[in-house]
Amino acid sequence: MVTVAGIYAYAPAIAVLPFVSFLVALLVGRWLPRKGALSGILATLGSLGLSVAMVGHLVLTGEGYDETMYTFVETAETFDLTFGLLIDPLSAAMLVIVSFIAVLVHVFSLGYMNDEDEPGLPRYYAGLGLFTASMLAFVLSSNLLMAFFFFELVGLCSYLLIGHWFREEGPPSGAKKAFLVTRFGDYFFLVGVVGVLATFKTAGFAGENGFPAVAERVLSPEASAEVAVDTFGFAPETWFAVLGLLVLGGVLGKSAQFPFHTWLPDAMEGPTPVSALIHAATMVAAGVFLVARMYGFYALLPTVLAIIAFTGGFTALFAATMAVVKNEIKQVLAYSTISQYGYMMLALGAGGYVAAFFHLTTHAMFKALLFLGAGSVIIAMHHEEDMWLMGGLKDEMRVTYLTFLAGSLALAGIFPFAGFWSKDEVLFEALAHGLESPLLLGGYLMGLAAVFVTAVYTVRMVLLTFHGDPRSDLAADPEAVRWNVKLPLSALGVLAVVAGFLNPVPIQTLTGVHVEFLHDFLDNAASEELLTSAHHYGDLTKEFAGYSTGTVAGGETATVLISAGLSLGLAVAGAVVALRLYGGADPARHTEKLGGLRTLLMHNYYQDEYQVWLAEGLTLGVARAADAFDRGVVDGAVDKVSSVSLLSGYGLRRLQTGIVTNYAALISLSVLALLVAFAAMGGWF
Amino acid sequence: MVLGSVPAEYYLVLSAAVFCTGVFGVLTRRNALMFLMSVELMLNAANINFVAFAFYWGNLTGQVFTLFTMALAAAEVAIGIGIILVLYRNFDDVRVTDATTLRW
Repeated sequence: MVTVAGIYAYAPAIAVLPFVSFLVALLVGRWLPRKGALSGILATLGSLGLSVAMVGHLVLTGEGYDETMYTFVETAETFDLTFGLLIDPLSAAMLVIVSFIAVLVHVFSLGYMNDEDEPGLPRYYAGLGLFTASMLAFVLSSNLLMAFFFFELVGLCSYLLIGHWFREEGPPSGAKKAFLVTRFGDYFFLVGVVGVLATFKTAGFAGENGFPAVAERVLSPEASAEVAVDTFGFAPETWFAVLGLLVLGGVLGKSAQFPFHTWLPDAMEGPTPVSALIHAATMVAAGVFLVARMYGFYALLPTVLAIIAFTGGFTALFAATMAVVKNEIKQVLAYSTISQYGYMMLALGAGGYVAAFFHLTTHAMFKALLFLGAGSVIIAMHHEEDMWLMGGLKDEMRVTYLTFLAGSLALAGIFPFAGFWSKDEVLFEALAHGLESPLLLGGYLMGLAAVFVTAVYTVRMVLLTFHGDPRSDLAADPEAVRWNVKLPLSALGVLAVVAGFLNPVPIQTLTGVHVEFLHDFLDNAASEELLTSAHHYGDLTKEFAGYSTGTVAGGETATVLISAGLSLGLAVAGAVVALRLYGGADPARHTEKLGGLRTLLMHNYYQDEYQVWLAEGLTLGVARAADAFDRGVVDGAVDKVSSVSLLSGYGLRRLQTGIVTNYAALISLSVLALLVAFAAMGGWF
Repeated sequence: MVLGSVPAEYYLVLSAAVFCTGVFGVLTRRNALMFLMSVELMLNAANINFVAFAFYWGNLTGQVFTLFTMALAAAEVAIGIGIILVLYRNFDDVRVTDATTLRW
């Protein structure tokens, strides 16, 4: 029996409440006045309240929570498989983000789905509820196996929600693609989970007995024999790196990192609130969150960190370039999401644990805002998404325009909006740690280049959507949106402006005032005790991955300022370029001048084509060959053997005449024959 | 005792004769009723053996067994008659050679 102290007794309710709303929407949703929206809003509000209470409790008392709730496989010899709750600063903060966005998305859905009389509303709200529940449970997970379960459930909900309009052609296809691509990554994750369990005999994230702590003891120079683990004949460093890379497979799939990013743009076929909740703010964050969750493990592995950083930096630039040429507003946002998650991976790889989570937080705010803003525009445009048919919406849709602008400036990284602070910190970490590692430095340079590209496509998107003259009748007379759209937009709009002040490092460096609130929170006493604190991770990267903080042009202050100035300068330059190109009343289609490059970008670097070729050309061919072998050789042998029985049975069935007399005669003759045989053997004759 | 003066072989010969009559009937008759009667003959041949041996050994078990066999035979006749009835309904006849439709 688990005794739970105080507030943590209510922790399971954070995930259970949305699950109840899922059941309500599923079972009785069709008879409810709002088809399940109200129960969803209430449940997520409850989760939000509890999550905030958890954060408050952590700040006030500094007591974390890491307990097993339920053991579903109990063994004496090896290890138990369990469900448990882990509440430390990281998970508590993530809970607040997820439930906050979930509340706003539920409210927004009232405007986007209910007011538009979309079909299948109970199914929609059931999906949202189940998604929120599984995401929250994923965040609460105390071990890797439980995290994997809910990771998969999150993927399933994504499939259900992208394919909400399953009678149309695009959504089911996008849903399948999202499911299959992320599943491909999850295969590696699953193998990694098994590997971790087999190696460490535990999958717990936190504390002295968690697998990161065990791995640390194994790798530490003064390792003693008693902490030896089964590394299957490899050197511990090698084997741990293999495990880290396997789990990273799932991360890359979920967080849409190269080369698994292809599913996210197609996921835009789903309803826009779903895109905001799942494909911007929470589910895609699951991958990054997982790396942060087991950062104590990754921090021990310099090779894996370098791979994470380089992949992240590459994805940031790679996805940003594609966003420049897209014409649909949601496509631009989709590629920007991939790009921004690249930044988070870059930060994690560069040892910037706080920076990554900071960017995750601000990105969740401004990207949810941008998607909901896009949703508002789409309502106004009667579901027309092509930006070339918009224009001039800023006067008709004041609230949407202002909030969207705030989100865009945050995305572009313009001072003093949220994105500036977090992106700057990411780049600073990459620069400071990257001066001695070429892979990290490469990631940094690509991330820096992506700042410019991000500003270009963001400003282009704003200008094409809201400025200039209306380019269609729809844009000239947009449909009005109601409070349920404006309220979430306003809430997020304010946060997109101020969320950056959670952790404005440059201010601290310049003025000396202590304002690293997020850093302090992630360094809370609770995390200290659970070995998940930011400075513990910092020590690990220094000790095991050999990260040292380098400086350019003398002194830390100068480095911070140069890094910040560089990224701000590039962002402003990008914004100016986009303003000059698209600023007029009737902007030209400048991207068409790019010629062959535009074709390449419009086709997403032929990534989809090559993956389809991999599936159809290669995998299908191999599968056909295997099928031929299976049918010809394996089945053939069995068939030939069975044909003996078949033929002999075919001949012998003539015996069965159906006439009773024949059977009686056969029996009598057999008995006689037996008798004669017995007699002969008994020596009667 | 009169019975005692008859040697056991006589009973065995009688029983064998009755049994062979039964087998002959089963093998040659086509009428299902005759078939059933032949089966009864074979059963009763066994009964004769039971009774005879029970008498010679002074053991009542054999006689009790005979009672069981008779009960069994009664039950068998009930079922047999039932089958014959169905046979008649389906084939308008009671010849056992007609009912060959359930084979391959």
